[in-house]
Amino acid sequence: MARTPSLARALLTGVTLLGVLGSLAACDAQTSDSARSGTRGKPRPITPVAGCAKGWTDPSDRSAARRPARCASGAPAPKPLKKRTKVIVSASTLTAEYLAPLRIGVAKGEFSKEKLDVEVKLLPTPDALPLLAKGDIDVQYAAPEAAVLNGIRQGFDIRWVAGNFTPAPGSKSGFWARLRPGDTAGGVSLKDRTVGTLIGKGSVITYPMAKVLSAHKADLDSVRFQQLGPAEVLTSLKNGGVDAAWLLDPVWRQVDGDTGYAFLGGQPRGEPLGGLLFGPDLLTGNPDAGVAFLRAYIRTVNTYFAGDYKKDRAFLDDLGDVLKTGPDTLAAVPSLRMDWEIRAGTVDRLQKAYAAAGVVEGDPLPEDQVVDRSFYAEAVGHN
Amino acid sequence: MTSENTAASARTAHPGEHPGEGEHGGGSAETTLLVRRPGPGERDPVRAHRRRRAIELSLALAVPAALILLWQLAADQRWIDSRIYPAPSTIAADGWQRAADGKLWPDVWATLKRVVAGYALGTAAGYLFGLLMGALRMVRAALEPLLDALYVVPKLALLPVFLNMFGLGEGPQIALVATTVFFFVWISTMAAVMGVAEGHREAGQVFGAGPWQMFRHVLLPASLPQVLVGMRVAAGVAVLVIVASEQIAANDGLGHLIFDSRTLFQNDVMFVGIVCVAVLGVVFSELVRFIGRRLTPWAPRDRGRPQS
Repeated sequence: MARTPSLARALLTGVTLLGVLGSLAACDAQTSDSARSGTRGKPRPITPVAGCAKGWTDPSDRSAARRPARCASGAPAPKPLKKRTKVIVSASTLTAEYLAPLRIGVAKGEFSKEKLDVEVKLLPTPDALPLLAKGDIDVQYAAPEAAVLNGIRQGFDIRWVAGNFTPAPGSKSGFWARLRPGDTAGGVSLKDRTVGTLIGKGSVITYPMAKVLSAHKADLDSVRFQQLGPAEVLTSLKNGGVDAAWLLDPVWRQVDGDTGYAFLGGQPRGEPLGGLLFGPDLLTGNPDAGVAFLRAYIRTVNTYFAGDYKKDRAFLDDLGDVLKTGPDTLAAVPSLRMDWEIRAGTVDRLQKAYAAAGVVEGDPLPEDQVVDRSFYAEAVGHN
Repeated sequence: MTSENTAASARTAHPGEHPGEGEHGGGSAETTLLVRRPGPGERDPVRAHRRRRAIELSLALAVPAALILLWQLAADQRWIDSRIYPAPSTIAADGWQRAADGKLWPDVWATLKRVVAGYALGTAAGYLFGLLMGALRMVRAALEPLLDALYVVPKLALLPVFLNMFGLGEGPQIALVATTVFFFVWISTMAAVMGVAEGHREAGQVFGAGPWQMFRHVLLPASLPQVLVGMRVAAGVAVLVIVASEQIAANDGLGHLIFDSRTLFQNDVMFVGIVCVAVLGVVFSELVRFIGRRLTPWAPRDRGRPQS
């Protein structure tokens, strides 16, 4: 009685597997078709926008003193789409402060004014990126990480369309080292030391990290990277598990002022390193919705985040509500400088750092294959 | 089997051949006797075994081969997006290149070391505890509730605890594998020892066997086949858990390779890692099975020609 069922079972298993693979093929054929279908059309006409005379700065200006582009409060005015459109946005966290313009924009109805229904989904970047590439997600709030560049190199229609922020002058979010006896902040050598990192060498942080390392007698090859979870970075730095680590807001406050630690540097003052990535649906499928999305985002920045937004206690409470963070925790670190523009050359500098870290292969991509400023240019009426 | 059984001829039996039939048979005096014609397996068992093995082997090779061919075809014909699901040929070429460049072996070696070390520790501890708890009622009463409680804790949830205990080196990875393996081997050993027939034990006692002789000549041979089943299951799970662990807290290994390439959106490299894990799991599990067969020639075999 044993032989016939075992043969039947093997055949059944094979047929089932074939069926599953066939279904997978059919499902993916639909998404991959949509992902491949888009081609860039002619440049869209751009008309001046009221209140946005200072809504554009020279992309080549990277000075720390540069004032970010700003329109008047409430500008650019909404231009509702002809029909209500759903936009799915993914982010790897929903509580980080840099995400505030998106969360406040949704909460205050700025996207609704454009007839956009925005759904924000919590998804780790590695999970979200293939979905963005396939068109299952419209917008990813992330950064031009090595993975994004690898995806673009493979032919996926993904572009970095807007920046996010630059750190405030008082911020010490960045690279912190534990000082050994005899070390001084200016004379720390990081060579052969262990660096704790949240994301790994493929993160945009690699670029400022490489700058800090080169200023402290080391480079990306001469230190050991230890990938850690968010909760373990500070603990590992304190208990000696790692010698240095990149500390985010507001974690760095816990070592600030302690003579056993030194702040060695952070994100360049005038240069956003992250922001919004568009996939094929908004880049080529429905660019009107893409412009409307950025118009709402930029209007939110101009209306609620134009300056030191943490001075307003009532707004701080609103911010705490949407970010699920206590207002006092938010107030403990300086306001970010929200900045929707992308600086010229940032992608080149990132690629140089990624190449040094060995996380990208092949020739560097030209900037115009990674960055698309046309959406925010149209939103603020810059010709 | 069905065809062999149905090829039968009927004979008529004489009344009274089977006592009592006349009393309960409703007055029928005849009984049908079925005589089964021997099937090919009985007429020529060696040939039948070879034939069955050939069919099994063909199926074992043909089904995966057909799937791989279909996958390749789907990628070539763009039924699937080969950038997200790379074609088998791309995976093979990339894996070959990485192996030739020497980029693959450090990760394979790192995973293998952790699996073997953790497996050895977990197996030894699990066997010892299983043996003691299976043989000694008091030890079982003392430890079983505690181990039962620990058994249901997802082992990956213990990784942060091991990180605190052993730091960032190899310790947490090996401890995690050892803990996972321990429970599989402990349970199968305890059950096997408890399941040794009382008659076997009594036979040992009749011959005056001491504790060591009872273990060596009764408990060990009787329990080892079932223990080895647990060890084989644990071998697969050891690979599974180390890959998950390496994704979280390691700088090398196949789990790290998969996670890192996924993070970098290098799907071809990710699939190379997945294939390597599958191969490693199969090889490790088959190695344990092979050793098990050699150690327990008296045990029924779960594959191949059945023992007579």
